[in-house]
Amino acid sequence: MRREDFLRDMDELLELDPGTLTGREALADLASWDSLAVISFIALTDEKLDTVIDGESLAKAATVQNLLDLLGDRLAA
Amino acid sequence: MASFDLGGRVVLVTGASAGIGRATAGVLAGLGATVIANGRDQGRLDATVAALPGGPHVAAPFDLLDIDAIPAWLKGLAADRPLHGIAHCAGVQVSRAVRQFDVAHFDQVMHANLASALALARGLRQAGVHAAECAMVLVASVGAYIGQPSNIVYGASKAGLIAAARGLAMELLRDGIRVNAVAPALVETDMAERTRRTMSEAQFAGLLDRHPMGIGKPEDVAHAIAFLLGDGARWINGITLPVDGGHLAR
Ligand SMILES: NC(=O)c1ccc[n+]([C@@H]2O[C@H](COP(=O)([O-])OP(=O)(O)OC[C@H]3O[C@@H](n4cnc5c(N)ncnc54)[C@H](OP(=O)(O)O)[C@@H]3O)[C@@H](O)[C@H]2O)c1
Repeated sequence: MRREDFLRDMDELLELDPGTLTGREALADLASWDSLAVISFIALTDEKLDTVIDGESLAKAATVQNLLDLLGDRLAA
Repeated sequence: MASFDLGGRVVLVTGASAGIGRATAGVLAGLGATVIANGRDQGRLDATVAALPGGPHVAAPFDLLDIDAIPAWLKGLAADRPLHGIAHCAGVQVSRAVRQFDVAHFDQVMHANLASALALARGLRQAGVHAAECAMVLVASVGAYIGQPSNIVYGASKAGLIAAARGLAMELLRDGIRVNAVAPALVETDMAERTRRTMSEAQFAGLLDRHPMGIGKPEDVAHAIAFLLGDGARWINGITLPVDGGHLAR
């Protein structure tokens, strides 16, 4: 999946206007990044990328880019 | 004790390739029952059957999402001898916040957990499929009683099973089939392990905290199912028995 398309899915997940997220955002600055968003992120990667991100590494992510890094080469530039 | 003995009984156990279903197959076989073990994974089903005492037990792989084919499949299973019971342990849990709700998610969980049970009941009540005295046990969850974020569709499917147990108990009285349910709290299985992996350590610690006797073993649920299937429960019908180490008592 393309990084860009995944960011658009994350926009939708966080109820942001399409095209909002770039990757540089700090998660703490995103009002809609809450515990349910975390669970929804796990469901999203499971559904779209067929991978289960473990909760402990998710808890360590500080930026949107950190989240994308967890997906490794499943995201194409 | 005779009332807990299942000698001579034939029982279909769904979800027998893992977790609670596999433990249930073991406990029922230990009480003398002949087990028909259902799941989708042939290898894991064969492993379940190979480990059962007594027998001859059989593996009956079948995808319970093929809902409308279930009654005919049951008829085939009972062609040689009628069933004395079904322990319906198969089920799926998928965590999703309502912000990601869609029909595909609803259908997946509701069909695997609830529609499968209703189709099994339809199949079981057919003439020749059930013995004169028969019992069905559905595996619900405390998730039907406790509001859990992101577990809404799962909880609704399990609450549906609890209501279905009551309705079926009344409707199948004339067929000699009792229908009850169990409602486990967190039990140490692959399902619980998958849930744990999607949580941070702090979140999982919080969940454990709500289990005053720790998390359950699959056998803890299996024993309750065995009781409800047997003659010891012959005057128990339409109930849901929590098997939860005190989780709901808090
Ligand atoms: N573990 C808990 O903490 C807990 C708590 C409350 C309630 N429960 C309930 O207890 C039941 C058993 O859970 P578990 O923890 O033992 O789960 P598990 O380890 O994930 O096992 C699930 C079983 O269901 C079978 N299954 C799933 N979908 C199926 C389908 N479409 N057709 C046929 N078989 C299917 C699986 O078989 P294959 O893999 O071979 O397809 C497997 O044998 C479930 O209903 C669950 O909701 C569990």
